[in-house]
Amino acid sequence: MNPFALIIIMLTVVLGTLIVMTSSHWLMVWIGFEMNMLAIIPILMKKYNPRSMEACTKYFLTQATASMLLMLAITINLVHSGQWSTMKPLDPTASIVMTLAMAMKLGLAPFHFWVPEVAQGIQLSSGLILLTWQKLAPMSILYQISPTINPTLILTLSILSVAVGGWGGLNQTQLRKIMAYSSIAHMGWMTAAMMFSPMMALLNLTVYIVLTTTTLVMFMMNSTTTTLSLSHTWNKTPLLTTAILATLLSLGGLPPLSGFLPKWMIIQELTKNDNIILPTFMVIMALLNLFFYMRLTYSTSLTTFPSTNNMKLKWQLNPIKTTTYLPPLIILSTLILPLSPMLILLE
Amino acid sequence: MNLFTSSMLLTLLILIVPVMASNFNIYTKNSYPNYVKTMVSYAFMTSLIPTIIFIQSGQDMVISNWHWMTIQTMKLTLSFKLDYFSMIFMPVALFVTWSIMEFSLWYMHSDPNINRFFKYLLMFLITMMILVTANNLFQLFIGWEGVGIMSFMLIGWWFGRADANTAALQAILYNRIGDVGLLMAMAWFLFNLNTWELQQIFLLNPTNTNLPLAGLLLAATGKSAQFGLHPWLPSAMEGPTPVSALLHSSTMVVAGIFLLIRFYPLTENNKTIQTTMLCLGAVTTLFTAICALTQNDIKKIVAFSTSSQLGLMMVTVGINQPHLAFLHICTHAFFKAMLFMCSGSIIHSLSDEQDIRKMGGLYKTLPFTTTALIAGSLALTGTPFLTGFYSKDLIIESINTSYTNAWALMLTLIATSLTAVYSTRIIYFALMGQPRFPTFILINENNPLLINPIKRLLVGSIFAGFLISNNITPMTIPQMTMPTHLKMTAIAVTLLGFIVALELNLATQNLKFKSPSNSTKFSTLLGYFPTTMHRLQPFLNLLASQKVASMVLDLTWLENILPKSISTFQMNTSMMISTQKGQIKLYFLSFLITLALTLLALKFV
Repeated sequence: MNPFALIIIMLTVVLGTLIVMTSSHWLMVWIGFEMNMLAIIPILMKKYNPRSMEACTKYFLTQATASMLLMLAITINLVHSGQWSTMKPLDPTASIVMTLAMAMKLGLAPFHFWVPEVAQGIQLSSGLILLTWQKLAPMSILYQISPTINPTLILTLSILSVAVGGWGGLNQTQLRKIMAYSSIAHMGWMTAAMMFSPMMALLNLTVYIVLTTTTLVMFMMNSTTTTLSLSHTWNKTPLLTTAILATLLSLGGLPPLSGFLPKWMIIQELTKNDNIILPTFMVIMALLNLFFYMRLTYSTSLTTFPSTNNMKLKWQLNPIKTTTYLPPLIILSTLILPLSPMLILLE
Repeated sequence: MNLFTSSMLLTLLILIVPVMASNFNIYTKNSYPNYVKTMVSYAFMTSLIPTIIFIQSGQDMVISNWHWMTIQTMKLTLSFKLDYFSMIFMPVALFVTWSIMEFSLWYMHSDPNINRFFKYLLMFLITMMILVTANNLFQLFIGWEGVGIMSFMLIGWWFGRADANTAALQAILYNRIGDVGLLMAMAWFLFNLNTWELQQIFLLNPTNTNLPLAGLLLAATGKSAQFGLHPWLPSAMEGPTPVSALLHSSTMVVAGIFLLIRFYPLTENNKTIQTTMLCLGAVTTLFTAICALTQNDIKKIVAFSTSSQLGLMMVTVGINQPHLAFLHICTHAFFKAMLFMCSGSIIHSLSDEQDIRKMGGLYKTLPFTTTALIAGSLALTGTPFLTGFYSKDLIIESINTSYTNAWALMLTLIATSLTAVYSTRIIYFALMGQPRFPTFILINENNPLLINPIKRLLVGSIFAGFLISNNITPMTIPQMTMPTHLKMTAIAVTLLGFIVALELNLATQNLKFKSPSNSTKFSTLLGYFPTTMHRLQPFLNLLASQKVASMVLDLTWLENILPKSISTFQMNTSMMISTQKGQIKLYFLSFLITLALTLLALKFV
């Protein structure tokens, strides 16, 4: 794509999210969301084939619906409270509708159907932006309205998302769909934390963004989108094999890697509030997540997956892909756990 | 007094000497069986001395010889109780054994292991004596187990025959079940009364004796072939006829009843146990009498007859008349042993033919055996003033006049008439009519070894009842007055049985044999008891345990419950969730439904 257009579009995406995060007028929030959505459509459509068209269309439809629901919530709030400020507590009905709108934007269950299909239909780099940057804006809104969110609703959404994320990912071999279901599950964890301690939800979001970025950048390095091609990594970039192992296990929430930190914090917050059954369920479902990550590591790093003989001697030209920021990302995504006492600063 | 104890111990010693002689190879002459028989006859005569002294003086005696051990506060000694029961039983048993040994000199004449046979018989006799004279339960248990073991060895005498081995095992198994009861009683006595001596048990007179008496009843059921543990007795006829005569008619099978009689001070205070004994005995006597009606093996008929008489003895103990039961034991020994010996004579003469359908017309060829058989059968049915009358008629009168269970009484009366029926059947088929056996057999009964014992027991069957009942010390008051119809009941039902059986046999003599009716099948298959209990029960048990072990435990609990169910559940759920149709209208539908439901649920409920 024309680099100038690309820059403008990217900036619009960023601007839209920033507007959402920093505005104090509900209308500006809605404008930000619309800007964001419209600007990201061309990014999703980097390749012109029917598959990506379909993915874009689905994304557009669901996000537009969500924005409409957001507008509905804002209007209800306006009618009931007579003001547009985001600092004031929301009216309960408006809060319900807005939560549902944000859930649609995030891809929480039962609004999760678009996430795997959209993720599968687009390029890896677009998927990266979809799964990481696009989560910032809705999460910030949820963070802002978190005092007035109906607990029943959000916990239901959270439980369903964790379950769907776990079970859905079991049946996949396409890496983009796996990352999509992983995002659904992580969103579930975040919304569960939102109820009791929004700070931990933000922590989870941060760590999740780091992890997903690392993983998707590693996939982009090898241009792999299936488990099968991922299993040839040992031949192409052997160093990356170890990195993939560590990152995927960290995504699964295995101590002593970074991915364990948000899970630990969330469980602690939940149990501090005498909530035992929910974290138990969530942890057990997270085991399913860990299982399909481990399946990936099994085929990639831990064993030499069966392949034809000419796959075992890949020759390649000098790589020209720039691996943006990969080493620090890998470090961040695996070794952050000892920094957890710093969280005391958040109290 | 000294003569009492010394002659008593001499009797036991005389019995032990031949066993020792064969163990240490002291006796070197050829005629070991004859030697054993002579020793047993000497023992019989020696045992008459203490019996007569006892009858004259009326004094019991307990000989406590050797202190074996003391377990905390319980003292175990070798002690003999010489009282009414043991003193009168010993000469009777020794007399019958003497006769049987002389008979088996003729019967087992051609057996190469005849020495061992006599040794086994003698060992059986010794253990029976130990059982009868035991003063503590431990010694009684030794005798109990001893007679069980010897019964096993003797039933399986012809061990080449598979049926004999099965029958011997069956006897052991059923006896073992009864032994559990005896052990339970011994344990109870040990716990609650701290003793196994009979004197102390009767002195302490415990009140809550249900458990030990039930244990003793179970032991008697096993040993004396009461209903429930009875199939071993007809199967035990696989052994040689002397064995059947000695063990399974006179001595061993009465051990169970003897045990109950020994404990009469306890049973006379426990109404529950008495009722149980009464009903059990009534059922036994009628059931085995029914089974005896359609048997074709002469020994089996006599075996069922024994079983029926044992039931009668149990009934007598059940109406709290232990001394009458004991009298019946003693008189029954005479004629039952003689009946078995007559059967043995018939079987041997017809060269080992035991089926009554293949006998007939023997009263001309075996006159003496015929006489003995008929006299024995008459004594068995309680013909007035023969042996059986003195005990059996008294029993029937006691039942009629006691305040007891009328149903048990009726069963006993029916069984009494059936006794006459199957006795008539034996006589009719074996002795009367035309011969149905092959004609080239030489039949004679000239051998004195055969004639003399039967003669002795014949005299005993006729006179022993009179002699014994007139000489023993009266322990209970017999019922003197009763209405005429009650006094006539025994005679009447017996006569009825005789007449009906004879009429039926004569009337149906030339009729064609139709396929058996259901009642015939019931009787021939022994009430279906062996079929169900020997085959069905173990099969069901093993099937159930196989199902539990392999199906339930292995397959379900260990495999299916957690591992397989979890894995199938996860697989199904993941397939369900990750297969999406991809139609956006469905997704919007889900959005709509969720929205509507949420708003409804959270706002208006």
